[in-house]
Amino acid sequence: MALLSRVADRMYWAARYVERAEDSARVLRAYGDVLADLPTSSSRWSPLVSISGSDVRLPPVVGSDESQVAQFLIADREHPNSIVNTVEQCRENLRTCREVLPREAWQTVNDLSIYVRGAAVTSVDRRRRDRFLSRVIDESRRLDGVMISTMTRDEVFEMWRLGRYIERADMTTRVLGVRAASLLSLPPGEVDEFAEVQWMGVLRSLSALQMYQRATRGPIEGPSVVRFLLFDHRFPRSVAGCLAEMRTSILRLPEYSSVLGAVEAVDRQLRRSRPAADDGAVLDKAMDEVQNALAGLDNVMHEQYVVH
Amino acid sequence: MARELIELLHRIGIDEVRERQRVSDREILTMGISFTVYSDGENIDRAWPFDIIPRLIDGNEWSLVERGLAQRLRALNHFIDDIYNDRRIIADGVFPADLLDGSANYRTECEGVHPKFGVWAHISGSDLVRAGDGQLYVLEDNLRVPSGVSYLLENRGVAKRTFPELFQHYRIRPVDAYTDELNRLLSSLAPDDRHEPRIVVLTPGIYNSAYFEHSFLAQRMGAELVEGQDLVVGDDDCVYMKTIQGLERVDVIYRRIDDLFLDPDVFLPDSTLGVAGLMRAWKAGNVAIANAPGAGVADDKVVYAWVPDMVRYYLGEDPLIPNVPTYRCMYDDEREYVLANLGELVLKPANESGGYGIVIGSRASADELEASAESIRADPRNWVAQPILDLSTAPTLVDEGIEPRHLDLRPFILTGEHSYVTAGGLTRVALIKGSLIVNSSQGGGSKDTWIVDNHHPSGHQLSQSPPSRSPPSQSPPSQSSLSQSQGGSD
Repeated sequence: MALLSRVADRMYWAARYVERAEDSARVLRAYGDVLADLPTSSSRWSPLVSISGSDVRLPPVVGSDESQVAQFLIADREHPNSIVNTVEQCRENLRTCREVLPREAWQTVNDLSIYVRGAAVTSVDRRRRDRFLSRVIDESRRLDGVMISTMTRDEVFEMWRLGRYIERADMTTRVLGVRAASLLSLPPGEVDEFAEVQWMGVLRSLSALQMYQRATRGPIEGPSVVRFLLFDHRFPRSVAGCLAEMRTSILRLPEYSSVLGAVEAVDRQLRRSRPAADDGAVLDKAMDEVQNALAGLDNVMHEQYVVH
Repeated sequence: MARELIELLHRIGIDEVRERQRVSDREILTMGISFTVYSDGENIDRAWPFDIIPRLIDGNEWSLVERGLAQRLRALNHFIDDIYNDRRIIADGVFPADLLDGSANYRTECEGVHPKFGVWAHISGSDLVRAGDGQLYVLEDNLRVPSGVSYLLENRGVAKRTFPELFQHYRIRPVDAYTDELNRLLSSLAPDDRHEPRIVVLTPGIYNSAYFEHSFLAQRMGAELVEGQDLVVGDDDCVYMKTIQGLERVDVIYRRIDDLFLDPDVFLPDSTLGVAGLMRAWKAGNVAIANAPGAGVADDKVVYAWVPDMVRYYLGEDPLIPNVPTYRCMYDDEREYVLANLGELVLKPANESGGYGIVIGSRASADELEASAESIRADPRNWVAQPILDLSTAPTLVDEGIEPRHLDLRPFILTGEHSYVTAGGLTRVALIKGSLIVNSSQGGGSKDTWIVDNHHPSGHQLSQSPPSRSPPSQSPPSQSSLSQSQGGSD
């Protein structure tokens, strides 16, 4: 089966958008959970806005107030990376490739979109929020499940996987660049008594707490969390894990050498960030570099498979 | 035949019927069965309106309709092929040459082309109405890019889950084979030297009101759904699509865009929906296009009046399914009849579409009728007239309960080396009492039509003989005050 360039592009972006919605939901769910354990004075919601995209210009009204941030990340139609918009973008992209999709997959994303459109605004409220975020995560997982269990392993499928893993790697670096970096940046001598709770929050926002604990004995410790999330290739949300999955997909595509080259460039950038695991200021910068390399990969794919 | 259906509706009661309707609505929403309407400068993707109560037609009657439609499309295709080539029908005095001059859908670019099997209109949809005399008539033929077949197939899927007990009781002819038949037909059109031909569905894109259907058909056939920007015509006059591994040859294009947008080199130069060089590739025989460009020459309100003559002329057969009687004002005796009976006729200008310019005699004022008479006398060739038909009704779930509502039916006909007619068709129903507006964009709904076979297990058989037909010159089928014209296609 040949794959139209336009369809390849839309599958890839549909996957990126639904992964973005799912990842935002994870981060937001975990963050609300952590902040509940912290004294009110330490409650700061603004870092979440940074995670959701440094390219986004914030409306001045979005401060550190919980409901404003939640509204911005969940239901704001003006915010391109809000959950309501990313789910809609995923649906619109898939609507133009229904002919290559399993029917169930389309119904899943359509269901999700109907739900999100109806429930987003009321789910900003803390009491309803968790159920909403969990549903977004579940439906996104269900979509992958349908694809994995019913789709031929052809180029359409690989485009979907690539979109998923590129977006996921990007999100992991964002969470580390913003949250981990600030936790590592405490002035020398000062000890944050809630550090452990916050590191647990970082892990939870990537659904990594349990797997981290199985992989690492002893108490939760910042640098080892960073190393786990960057380099433990056995964990599917670590950057190294995502890169391994990307390679598998790329080898199944035609004319892949330039694309594979771009993945190796991300990998080199990732390895360069190894010493940054202990130092917040360096980590933030290193994560920016990895994100740039991921954007480079996205460019190379576009040139190789879409515009020729 | 409808007794079991009515009994079931009574037995389960109106609340249960409404509950089943709600389940069906929900299913349609989740499945994303939608159509696009343009409103307030925005394209809105709306859920498809489906009334769960089916409409039933007896299998014996339908077998005749099937043969009649296949016959009709064979004759129409002979006509199109003849018009672009030898024009025998004109030379033999059966069809007037000057009618082509005014035809908006005649394409000089198509002259001398010989599509495979001599077929131009491969996929067509003919609108049928059942009038007050019980007879099914062809109201019009859609030979360009008829739409609606996906909704027919989706409606059946929902209907099976809504009334499973009725599917056990009745023998209902299945409709699902359509996409397979379409695939077979399109494959057969490929240039002869091409094995395992590549078929694409050419769509104007997501903002087209029928995009859902384009996507649906591509999916069901495993074909690529392409836009004009995905295709390119090479220096070798072959058509290619842009894939992630470069260009791949395309053999058959099922196009869902109008002639004039197909090729900016030949038709509208500003069109971005089509592919430059496509007509060149088609004429060189390197790609098949369905329906062929120019096929629309035969779906014109005046040409329509000649279809029964075409059947007799090309096939040497009598038409099995009648036209609505049509008076052609270009002929003196028919015009005199029209002018003497304006108040009982529907007056249709030949070259307007979408119902524009149509006058319903019984609803027009004396002044309007006088103005129409003037127009007809001034330009008789541009007018036809038909008797006012009373469309049949079927029980439909509305706010007030289950009530009769007017409906029409569009079966789809595939014509290639062989013919195929859907069992039933797209069924559109006017939801407002007394209304004849069935268009979904204007609040009309849809139904599933069941062709029911062998229904009398006691051994009683329905008559096998075809119902009687009346030739066009005889009296109108009904005197009702309602017109068929608004029931026309989208």
